[in-house]
Amino acid sequence: MAVKVQIPGPLRALAGGAAEVQVEAASVRALVDALQAKHAGFRERLLDESGTLKAYVRIFVNDDDVRTLEGERTPLKDGDVVAIVPAIAGGAGVHVI
Amino acid sequence: MKMPREQAEAMLAHARDGYPFEVCGVLLGRAGERRVERIARVANREQESPRVRYAIAPEDQLRVQRECRGQGLEIVGYYHSHPDHPARPSETDRRIAAEGLSDGVIHVVVGVAGGTEATPTAWVFRDGAQAFEPEPLEIDA
Repeated sequence: MAVKVQIPGPLRALAGGAAEVQVEAASVRALVDALQAKHAGFRERLLDESGTLKAYVRIFVNDDDVRTLEGERTPLKDGDVVAIVPAIAGGAGVHVI
Repeated sequence: MKMPREQAEAMLAHARDGYPFEVCGVLLGRAGERRVERIARVANREQESPRVRYAIAPEDQLRVQRECRGQGLEIVGYYHSHPDHPARPSETDRRIAAEGLSDGVIHVVVGVAGGTEATPTAWVFRDGAQAFEPEPLEIDA
């Protein structure tokens, strides 16, 4: 399945500066593997040690957050547009997740 | 980084208007340039402690990105306010940036004293240092 992946600024150095790349993947997890195979460093930036998306990383498939779908197992189809989006938070107060 | 005066004024007005709660928004510019061309307010999605915490929904970022793509602009950074707290990143800001995707991203922190005096400072997060580094903030005439 050929899908387009929109890369946020902080990860573009891994992809040679590209804002968008195309990969073949049948699921979100396979997409992370495909990105990693092409551009080392993606897996550790996106997934924790158990293979789950990190808390402050969001992946959208055609505007739907994969957390509302099947997470890393969310299937992909030809022509899907996948966006990697940083979750941004903070503030003057104490740290709570 | 550089920023047009009217955009800086709009950001500071947002921070004053939102007092005593934290406000937040995105900084829009062109990839690879240290220049903010526009700001866009977004809702603070923090539910429990919006006086001392902020959260920007990824859905809001996608919406803003889509709206400005035709103009060649994209998200190059973020701003948020610290009501009655210093105009510099907190330990909370640092820890969350370190856990997320923040390398090279601009963050402007606006300190708001008493709801009237708003002071902006600019920073860039560096993964290597796991810290924010000060970034000179030049406001154009």
